[in-house]
Amino acid sequence: MLKIVNGKQDEAGAGILIKDAKFPSPFVSGLEYSPPARGAWNIVHTGMLIPKSHQIFICTQGCLRGVVLTAAEMNAANRFSTIAVRENNVLDGDMESLIIDGVTDILSKLKAKPRAILIFTSCIHHFMGCDLKLVYRTLRERFPDIDFTDCYMNPIMRKSGMTPDQKMRQQLYSLLKPVSVHKKCINIIGNNLPTEESSELVRMIIENGFELKDITGCKTYEQYLSMAESAANISYNPVARISGDTLQTRLSQKHLYLPLSYDYAEIESNLNQLAAYLHIKTPDFTEEKAKAEKALKSAKEIIGDTPIAIDYTATMRPMGLARLLIEHGFNVAAVYADTINEEERQDFIWLKENSPIMKLYSTVHVKMRFLSQNSHKKLLAIGQKAAYFTGTSYFVNIVEGGGMYGFDGIYRLMQLMEEAFLREKDTKSLIQVKGLGCCSL
Amino acid sequence: MIKIAVYGKGGIGKSTTVSNISAALAQQGMKVMQIGCDPKADSTITLHNGIMIPTVLDLIRKKSNGFFLEDMITVGYSGILCVEAGGPTPGLGCAGRGIIAALEKLKEKGAYKIYNPDVVLYDILGDVVCGGFSMPMRSGYADKVFIVTSGENMAIHAAANIAMAIENFRGRGYAQLGGLILNRRNVKNEEKKVQELADDINSGIIGILDRSEIVQQAEELNKTVVEAFPDSDMAMQYKILALNLLKSCGKELD
Repeated sequence: MLKIVNGKQDEAGAGILIKDAKFPSPFVSGLEYSPPARGAWNIVHTGMLIPKSHQIFICTQGCLRGVVLTAAEMNAANRFSTIAVRENNVLDGDMESLIIDGVTDILSKLKAKPRAILIFTSCIHHFMGCDLKLVYRTLRERFPDIDFTDCYMNPIMRKSGMTPDQKMRQQLYSLLKPVSVHKKCINIIGNNLPTEESSELVRMIIENGFELKDITGCKTYEQYLSMAESAANISYNPVARISGDTLQTRLSQKHLYLPLSYDYAEIESNLNQLAAYLHIKTPDFTEEKAKAEKALKSAKEIIGDTPIAIDYTATMRPMGLARLLIEHGFNVAAVYADTINEEERQDFIWLKENSPIMKLYSTVHVKMRFLSQNSHKKLLAIGQKAAYFTGTSYFVNIVEGGGMYGFDGIYRLMQLMEEAFLREKDTKSLIQVKGLGCCSL
Repeated sequence: MIKIAVYGKGGIGKSTTVSNISAALAQQGMKVMQIGCDPKADSTITLHNGIMIPTVLDLIRKKSNGFFLEDMITVGYSGILCVEAGGPTPGLGCAGRGIIAALEKLKEKGAYKIYNPDVVLYDILGDVVCGGFSMPMRSGYADKVFIVTSGENMAIHAAANIAMAIENFRGRGYAQLGGLILNRRNVKNEEKKVQELADDINSGIIGILDRSEIVQQAEELNKTVVEAFPDSDMAMQYKILALNLLKSCGKELD
């Protein structure tokens, strides 16, 4: 365990005034710390969104611990298996047959045959150049009634090429097969959580007679496969953008990338793009904007000048949210984010110029192990990591934007902020549960 | 697109042979890509006047993914597209992994689709010592493997190992053995020994190259024999070998 040896807390390198931060990576990469705020979903949680699927992880035993615990904690151990790679497999070069024989053995022991199998290979397969094409071809020939797809637990991909999160969300839709398209069907893709039905995004789709499909609502494998019928995919999480582009190429489904935003003009532009696609009149959002404004004022009256901290797990646009709040008089003291997305560039620049002494903290810098605070001053956190690092018991417990989108999303978020400010939470017990909103026990 | 991998014991003359084959095919008007899979990165050196070219692994090391397909390819003699996979830091790193990384990067950057060569020749170091060195045999890379050998015992031993690896991969849809290339060292009973090997592995000798000083003379000029001494008997032997290789792959030139 890491210990402070000089008795002093030193945040240099782990925390910085935003005016001094560089885009897109304000912090030096190195030894990393993982705070015990586990609400953000991991590849196991996301993969389980495919109904009737089974996951098989193949790697060395030591690396299986985290994913095994995730599956057990979400009460999905019966949809999860592992195959351990040992030294003799590396020496004998039988990595391919280990997977093929292992998967065959697992299938022979499962009581009910899964409709789909997600095979997670790991770094060792990548290092050794394991012939995964051969593996999948053999398995598909051997089990023609089961769909197989390739997933990855490969930490070396974290900072090169696609991230594991991007890849997972892409592979989540890889089992969709070309079918005839239903023009009045639209998917929202790339989210772990369903989008609020009250959002303008969902309402515009439903109220104009379109059927909305989302993997988060699929109960059967057929429902999942039917997502291939949709004429368009909407993504709004930046990490899912590649998923939409891939489906556009593979299934000719139109991709509308309408990134989550807290900027009125951007929200309106996104919704207008949707309106154009739906061939409907450009909607008037005056009422929705007024409702959001009213909610912001109400929240400000209650929260006052209490410092606010936001982290990147709560929303894909922490800079954008900070900007919105500052523009409405809130006291945003800190944002916890390790990198800044391209989507956030303008908000980041705005914050540098208009709120230069706002602090920007890394969440993984090793010094964050010691910067955890138990502030006696009341502070409102938005997100679990911000709650942990500030030691507050007043926090908005959401991940990935919490399914809130558009003007309605701002309205709802303000309600959650008010509620969080007024009602204390048991932070420790809440943030240690993995995968907030999944079927965890 | 004809895709050929040439294997054989280290020092047996693979790069010289492959470069001369490339030159001979290019002279016939074919678009040729030669990919050297040797950490020494000198497979294609006689195709571009002895100048060392940037290797794929050097580019990956220095620029991660921030480089273009053209950065990996040097256009050499008669338009031959020259690529050197490169290798790890000597004494450190993993040469097999290096080949995997280089070949994956070439594919990822669209080398085969964008340049669309008529012939791709992989020149692979030595014996099949690990999965990385067998990468060019895999589905999607070479269709046929040719093994360069002499009558020397070590060369025959290496050739037998390579043939065994190909046999082990039977059923995987990998490259098939196209035949042996005898590069004479003038040892006793050389042709007989290599023919015995060919019989043992159910293959044949598809070309014989004499030991000739002209090969070294051309190398001293940093050129292939085909370029430096086009009218020599050796140049003719390489040209015949190149045509035989194509024929083994189902392609005949006039």
